[in-house]
Amino acid sequence: MRIILVLLFAFIAQHGFAAEDDEAAWQMLQKSAVAAHALSYQGIFVCNSGKQSRSVEIKHMFDGQNEYSRNVVLDGAPREVLSQDGNLVIYNPKNEKIVIEKRRGHNMFPAVLPKNLDRIKANYRLKMGGIERVAGRDAQVLLLTPKDQLRYQHHFWVDTEFGLILKSVILNHQNEAIDQIGFSQLNLFNTLNLDWFKPKIDANKDYVMEEENATDVDTSLSPHWMLKDLPAGYRKVEQMVRKVRGKDFPVTHVVFSDGLASVSLFIEPLAKDVKPKTGASSVGNTNFYSRASGFLQVTSVGEVPAATAASIANAVVFVK
Amino acid sequence: MNEQLSALIDDEVSMDEARHLMSALNSSAEVGETWAQYHLIGDVMRGSSTLRSSFKHDLMQKIEQEPTVLSPNAASMQHEATPALTDEATAVQLPKKIPAYWSVAASLSAVMVVGWMMWQTPVANQNTSMQMASIAPVQPLNTPVQTEVAEIPTEYLAAHQSSAPTASAYFIQTASYSE
Repeated sequence: MRIILVLLFAFIAQHGFAAEDDEAAWQMLQKSAVAAHALSYQGIFVCNSGKQSRSVEIKHMFDGQNEYSRNVVLDGAPREVLSQDGNLVIYNPKNEKIVIEKRRGHNMFPAVLPKNLDRIKANYRLKMGGIERVAGRDAQVLLLTPKDQLRYQHHFWVDTEFGLILKSVILNHQNEAIDQIGFSQLNLFNTLNLDWFKPKIDANKDYVMEEENATDVDTSLSPHWMLKDLPAGYRKVEQMVRKVRGKDFPVTHVVFSDGLASVSLFIEPLAKDVKPKTGASSVGNTNFYSRASGFLQVTSVGEVPAATAASIANAVVFVK
Repeated sequence: MNEQLSALIDDEVSMDEARHLMSALNSSAEVGETWAQYHLIGDVMRGSSTLRSSFKHDLMQKIEQEPTVLSPNAASMQHEATPALTDEATAVQLPKKIPAYWSVAASLSAVMVVGWMMWQTPVANQNTSMQMASIAPVQPLNTPVQTEVAEIPTEYLAAHQSSAPTASAYFIQTASYSE
């Protein structure tokens, strides 16, 4: 009897500590989600996605009210991304021109996490790993594992002093790193001047604005389709009508997210003399699925497992 | 009747005069077929339909596998079938003047028109279908033709990355942006 009691206490103690550990890990992740916005830092990070790799120089400043950041790609074409409170201006070299694109950005490294982690908590578990060194700094490893097969695993290396995410890796179901971003050099700074917050202008190039009205927010409900049985944890976060290259008609574009991963769903009418396209394919960490539903061509694309891309495309029900 | 239908398509008859044609269309399946075929031929002539890129290849294979298309009269009909390509009026009357399978031997382009027509024709018309069986493409007529997609089309990937990029997609563009 005494032995059983001891074992029982041991069991409770272990699980009690484990729960506390998880809670500490979530708190650390929460701190890192805020730190990426609230600190001023500069450095160089390296992105690896698929077979491609780019070094990026970043300077991020928070003046107590507004956030500014400038990201310059150091390899290949000198792409620049300037961000002010999530409003991005991208200077994108295309052939002999620089195309200026405006976007919203919510997940630029190291601010890859939303400030509210509730959605992520609902779909993933978090565990502490060991302490490792990244960019000359000590980092706590946090292991974010999905509760099901519908999303990938994420590992984060969080600076033990500043709380910044120093490195972020996405692993597929075979435990292979499919996407990786990490600092190779990082410093904090506390000056407030903004003379660095401008793109480097190349006097020999033409600067042109990207075509306007490429997208329009769409709040209408189509009478011709509805969504049924979305994969668990994925919710619609945005719906728009957009121009897609090579298409005569505007295409409905719906974005789904589980808090970390995003999937795009494209819905368009199937023209009479156009054959429906069906198929699935995978490039790097991106999966693609295409099918016809009634008189609609449905296409999904996202950095999610193939089953998730398929079930989002299959969620579209054609209504006559 | 067929000439009247042809004239109606070419707007040479007013709708009032054509009223009896319309009722004939509704009552007779055969006239309905002809009507649909003339429209299709017209569409092909105007280039408003697109032929599958492998159509010619598939069709030539079918012809090679089917010796019966070489009818003894084919050679003598050749000069009649060829102008059908350039003259819309002649083309519209093609099914009436010559059995369609002779045009197979006549010229590839004429075959493409007729083959396209047959491909689009519902199976109901059994007489023509039997004659044309040798050149009809293998696709079952009533099931939709689907295209298999083997890679991620860049237009969708670019749209996805523009609205919902991953952290690395801001800097690494897997979709080709070259124009």
